[in-house]
Amino acid sequence: MSTRIHRRRHAKNIAAQVLASAATLLALAFLVWILWETISRGLQAIGISLFTKITAYADQGGLANAIVGSAIIDAMAIALSAPIGVMAGAYLAEYARSTRLGATIRFLNDILLSAPSIVLGLFVYVIVVLPMTAATNGTTTFSALAGSIALALIGLPVIVRTTDEMLQLVPSTLREAALSLGIPQWKLTVQVLMRAAGSGILTGVLLALARLSGETAPLLFTAFGNNYMAFGPLEKMASLPAAIYQYTNDPNPALHAIAWAGALLIALFVLALSLLARTVFARGKTSHD
Amino acid sequence: MTDLATATQSGSQPVAPAPAKIAVRNLQFHYRDFHAVRNVHMDIPERQVTAIIGPSGCGKSTLLRVFNRIYAIYPHLRAEGEVRLDGENILDPGYSLNRLRSKVGMVFQKPVPFPMTIFENIAYGIRHHESLSRADMDVRVEQALRAAALWDEVKDKLKHSALGLSGGQQQRLCIARGIALRPQVLLLDEPTSALDPIATGRIEQLIEELKRDYTIVIVTHNMQQAARVSDRTAFMYMGELIEFGDTEKIFTKPDKKQTEDYITGRFG
Repeated sequence: MSTRIHRRRHAKNIAAQVLASAATLLALAFLVWILWETISRGLQAIGISLFTKITAYADQGGLANAIVGSAIIDAMAIALSAPIGVMAGAYLAEYARSTRLGATIRFLNDILLSAPSIVLGLFVYVIVVLPMTAATNGTTTFSALAGSIALALIGLPVIVRTTDEMLQLVPSTLREAALSLGIPQWKLTVQVLMRAAGSGILTGVLLALARLSGETAPLLFTAFGNNYMAFGPLEKMASLPAAIYQYTNDPNPALHAIAWAGALLIALFVLALSLLARTVFARGKTSHD
Repeated sequence: MTDLATATQSGSQPVAPAPAKIAVRNLQFHYRDFHAVRNVHMDIPERQVTAIIGPSGCGKSTLLRVFNRIYAIYPHLRAEGEVRLDGENILDPGYSLNRLRSKVGMVFQKPVPFPMTIFENIAYGIRHHESLSRADMDVRVEQALRAAALWDEVKDKLKHSALGLSGGQQQRLCIARGIALRPQVLLLDEPTSALDPIATGRIEQLIEELKRDYTIVIVTHNMQQAARVSDRTAFMYMGELIEFGDTEKIFTKPDKKQTEDYITGRFG
């Protein structure tokens, strides 16, 4: 009697384990497949000219201007979103922790976090690109600056949320200890708590950079794209995701190969950022316990 | 001192100005709707160690946390009545928190060093209240670390992170950080409950030395500790101050039945 129940339970347990493992394998298989396709196809087109020639040479060219453009736009985007995001996160955690206003802002921030990126692109087109065009009589229209504002809107909610969460994880005894020395709240926040939560906050900024560096849609109506090398923030500027988008829409298979190389570059960049974020976070964790 | 002790114990006001460092009058404390501390009257003598004992949830930590108004950082908490420090009511909203906290230092249950170097842990608080030259700061930091009996262990690694110290060393660092501001009162909230017996012994020895210069109030759930380190002991139960007097008397022949029951381990 009891052995029958046990046998049945054993069988159920094995069935559940097999199903769960199969689901995990399926998910992993797609990830490996994606990486395999990206690496094998990307490697074929990677050469010196990818980094030295610009997109104006089309299938005889490379992605130099897109790489430089992405670096400039992403750097400006993170420079815009990191200070605002960290300060807003600090406000939520330290000044509005259990207030209704804080809860409302967190909710709105989560909406921004999941907003379709094309909507953010259109928004920046309307509030930056169109007024800029009108103000300069059409000499400046699409610009790298507009692109980085759109990307900053992608990264901002990520940074706000991680900063908020990381600061909330700092034990309240640290706050009490500093306040009992007469240290005012702002000094406590900036000099003690942000240092205690530093690695977590930095991790959030790195993950935001990883997230925004792969976005295409926000750049289409903002930075637009450029087949030549551009450095000025008010110029139209090429970027890796936009170049990939443009090349994959082209019938020329040589351009598809270059697009794969670009995709590989982005994938490697995001992978490197994730690894860096993990090490930063792990190191911060061990030194505070 | 014995005259004063009898005078305050019987509840009548002493005729001469009492050397009470902190005088608590009709103190009430509320967490939202919960009345956590009721009608407490208490005179805490200067440069002595006053221990507050009682079972968990009796309001002893709450009472301690009124003395530097640290409770005020949380919403929905309020204290009513009077707590006079050198005759001035610190619960008066006009009493500056900055001034209060430079006069009343606090050490917590768990050691909480700041994520900075050992030197900076001490210098950080000083720098907020005074601007000292480099040399003067070095002297002040050394004095504080010596007073907390930590100097010899850390003098060669002042630039190292304070997070690398042991628990007992971290707690002494926190005491050094508190006394570096040259406060008059030191509040200790179960300062050894997270420490091993050897570290606890060092802290208790330190308390003995510090009472020459500071008025010390210590909350502890460890009755032997209260008996070892304090001159005066207050017993609290269910938010009320049941009995307050010389430690020896409280532990040998308390006036109240509840005190005796607690001390002999019948409850708590």
